[in-house]
Amino acid sequence: MSRSESRPGADDTRDDFPYDEFADVTTELALALPPVQPSAELKARLMAQVALTPQLPAETDADETGADATGTDAPAAEEAAPTAGLAPVTPLAPLPTPATDAPLASPAAERARLRWFQRPVVTLTAAAAAVALFFGGVVTANLLQPGPDDAAQQLAAIVAAPDVQTVAAPVADGGSATLVSSESLGLSAMVFEGLPELDADEAYALWYITDGTPTPAGLFTVSGDGEGEVVQVLDGAFEAGTIVGVTVEPASGSPAPTTEPIVAIPTQA
Amino acid sequence: MLVVVTTDPEAAVDELTAPDAANALLQRVAAGDQRAFSDLYDLIAPRMLGLVRHVLKDHAQSEEVVQEVLLEVWQTAARFDPNKGRAVTWMLTMAHRRAIDRVRSAQSSRDRDTRVGIRDLDREFDSVAENVEIRVEHERVEKALSRLTDLQRQAVELAYYGGYSHSEVAEMLSVPIGTVKTRLRDGMIRLREEMGVAS
Repeated sequence: MSRSESRPGADDTRDDFPYDEFADVTTELALALPPVQPSAELKARLMAQVALTPQLPAETDADETGADATGTDAPAAEEAAPTAGLAPVTPLAPLPTPATDAPLASPAAERARLRWFQRPVVTLTAAAAAVALFFGGVVTANLLQPGPDDAAQQLAAIVAAPDVQTVAAPVADGGSATLVSSESLGLSAMVFEGLPELDADEAYALWYITDGTPTPAGLFTVSGDGEGEVVQVLDGAFEAGTIVGVTVEPASGSPAPTTEPIVAIPTQA
Repeated sequence: MLVVVTTDPEAAVDELTAPDAANALLQRVAAGDQRAFSDLYDLIAPRMLGLVRHVLKDHAQSEEVVQEVLLEVWQTAARFDPNKGRAVTWMLTMAHRRAIDRVRSAQSSRDRDTRVGIRDLDREFDSVAENVEIRVEHERVEKALSRLTDLQRQAVELAYYGGYSHSEVAEMLSVPIGTVKTRLRDGMIRLREEMGVAS
């Protein structure tokens, strides 16, 4: 075997298939291969990712190297801009500090007497701002794991629905939550990232809140602080205009929220 | 309605051969249309997986690559310039590159053999139930490949279907790297003529 050096010219620095010159031919070569049907899970995972991943704007700097964005991993999250694929969200007020009854606004003392899920929507809406920034890294570990995953499949179905709404919000103790919902399917799912592990006697509780009335929509726990993300499909029927909230409750659940929400996301009617 | 529907590959192929089907879908994807992405997936994913798995061999890894590439397609759809070529080419090139990156990054554990020739292709073909149109396409390419000299064909097969770099091919065949490039280039030009594709 000979050594493979011999690099006489600059031409040789590119030890790469000549794609550009023979794009047409390579396409024919590729299409001559037998197709292989991907697993159904692949599409489910991908559609879920797509629902949560912002798109990059059309190239602004036409710097040479960026000619085809194929080199390595996309610089996705960084330059994330709010884009067409995402449901519109109206950022309203600054983020509340939900750990305590901290004032949300000046007349907050007044409102604080009401339990959080009875307050006017506007005070909750605050939590649902800041969409795009939280999107980039949301779907990672879990959805990339091959294997059947009902939650991911349901999420994919919601995402594929014509009336899908996607809203992201930060979670009180860190991390983020993204609500993906479809009224036509009557379904919604929350995708959490970086949710802390709770004590053994506690659980996260999901709520649908309609006209100030909370309806339990499921309990769940996470293991391993802030590791990857969790997809939870809510129990019960989703209706547009409802608020989805999450509280920490006793592991056995509660008929109504007993604590402040760690996140509450309103949806558009 | 909760089931993710995977379209039957026959339908997808017909559309894919309509040159602009993928372009039109990609344009909608660029505008954030997730349903268009779903359709685009149905159209391209089986072809992409066929290509990636041919290079990588391992099915699970190949699915990962396809997932990565298609997510990138979603993210960068707005940067695709239809004036520079077909969407199918753009996507399959991305997938081919990524498959090769993956093979090269796992050089030690790699389980590739150097016999990536047309006989291999045939074997893969015979193992799947085939759609007439794909069969026709395959035979066209096979026929074109058969018009190359043995050395040209070998270079094309190793470099494209095998995913080997020029220097790897040079080493395998004990010829200078420049010779590999020349054979590959001549082979590709000849293929273009034989297949009558527009350049």
